[in-house]
Amino acid sequence: MKRFLGLLLIFTVVMGIISGCSNNSDGFKADRTINVVTREEGSGTRGAFVEIVGIIEEDENGEEVDRTYEEAIVQNSTNAVMTTVAGDDYSIGYISLGSLNDTVKAVQIDGVEATAENILSGSYKVSRPFNLAYKGDLSLVAQDFLNFILSSQGQEVVANEGYVKASIQTPSYEAIGSHSGTVVVAGSTSVTPLMEKLAEAYEKLHPDVSIEIQSTGSSAGMQSAMEGTADIGMASRDLKDSELAELTNVVIALDGIAVIVNNNNPIENLSLENLKSIYMGEITSWSEIE
Amino acid sequence: MKSKSMESIMKTIFFISATVSIIAIVLICIFIFAGGVPFIAEYGLKDFLLGREWQPSDTPASFGILPMITGSIYVTIGAIILGVPIGILTATYLAKFCNHKVYRFLKPCINLMAGIPSIVYGFFALVVLVPIIRDIFGGTGMNIITASILLGIMILPTIVNISESAIRAVPQSYYEGSIALGASHERAIISVVLPAARSGILSSVILGIGRAIGETMAVILVAGNQARMPAGLTKGVRTLTTNIVMEMAYAADEHRQALIATATVLFVFILIINGTFLIIKRRANNG
Repeated sequence: MKRFLGLLLIFTVVMGIISGCSNNSDGFKADRTINVVTREEGSGTRGAFVEIVGIIEEDENGEEVDRTYEEAIVQNSTNAVMTTVAGDDYSIGYISLGSLNDTVKAVQIDGVEATAENILSGSYKVSRPFNLAYKGDLSLVAQDFLNFILSSQGQEVVANEGYVKASIQTPSYEAIGSHSGTVVVAGSTSVTPLMEKLAEAYEKLHPDVSIEIQSTGSSAGMQSAMEGTADIGMASRDLKDSELAELTNVVIALDGIAVIVNNNNPIENLSLENLKSIYMGEITSWSEIE
Repeated sequence: MKSKSMESIMKTIFFISATVSIIAIVLICIFIFAGGVPFIAEYGLKDFLLGREWQPSDTPASFGILPMITGSIYVTIGAIILGVPIGILTATYLAKFCNHKVYRFLKPCINLMAGIPSIVYGFFALVVLVPIIRDIFGGTGMNIITASILLGIMILPTIVNISESAIRAVPQSYYEGSIALGASHERAIISVVLPAARSGILSSVILGIGRAIGETMAVILVAGNQARMPAGLTKGVRTLTTNIVMEMAYAADEHRQALIATATVLFVFILIINGTFLIIKRRANNG
């Protein structure tokens, strides 16, 4: 009797698990809530996304408030965001364009597809430039490093890291001037990983040059360039007018952010306005998007 | 003479080995408190512990960790509700009911459970538990229930192993005495052996709580991690541990200090839990 009861129990549990697993193929229901996925506070991707989309708001006292929907799931890596979106029909997330693959679907923003060409032409809105800025004339070695970054070899590094090249036509790198000394580069934490790779490639060509990278943030980087404490400043945004007055800037790469949904989601296009409303929690159901 | 000097050398080596762990724990204490206390003092203990807003990138930033404290407590309670009954019943079965063949299979399984890296549990929960919970309750599937089920599974080995040895440590005469008085096998175990092992079982539960409250990598994948007051069983939650891991990578200055201060609070929690464990153990030894 006991054994029979035990078997019955196991049987019910197994059947329960099987039936629980098998009823999730009913197609997409537009009236379901949107499961918003975001990145953690302090992440460069989140910083860029909230700034470009306009989720971060500045009030009259200059206080900036990040208004990301408080029910949004927070994941702390690109992979975790993609796994979440790939596993949930009703979710939406954002990742760096370079990491996009076919486990998820990138939506068009204002009818423009997220491709390198569209980012370069400026028609894809969710993107930002990686700027380098310097004051006056650069030292020879710093100028040579800058030439290297903008050359086809340097832009190859940019593309390998998943960013969009600053221009399609790039000259081949030709070394000029002396190749010893130190170049101090300071600024954006988002540009830093790319800059490290560029410095590595450059130092391989010229072992006597040392490139010192300080990851301090875009505004601090522009400040150091203006004060002369750094040879080159890095910014992951357009330069402000006050900065442009003193500094010369060069775009070395573009960073695009792809907005991703599940492959089963029929939506193809989102307006920037809708995207903003979704991430601020004003639109909570897929059927509210026209 | 030679053996004597050898002996003293070995003694020193053993002594050094013993002090290494003590030095490590002292250094951890110093680092955690030196890093966290100044921030708490500056920000205000009350604002920090009872603040409901965690908005590090706003200007001015707010660092209230009450959502995370309650989140940690909720998922731990959930894990205890699910894990403790299963754990104790499993331990009882292993110690008193199952035959040798089953035991030889079950025991290594449970030991294996203890050895599985927590990130593996996390991925299992992300791809198996989350879709099931989403089908049943709707929403995102990343919520207090999912995290509790996951933690309930993860604390099983701790509870089972310690409870089992506690049950086995009950003198055989207790069991034989109750059988002699006419109790059935089941009754003797439930009403006599288990109550006699209660302090050991309670310790296992407390260590399980410690494990649940300190677990990070698995929880981070399935909890949703929203930094707001827990809003219901089917809504996401962020715990103290995930708050630290989540934001440490990019945090700077005040934000970073706030995270270390979060670690201080977590450390105090663990101290309280282990302190309780010691008290119970001592009381059991005296009584």
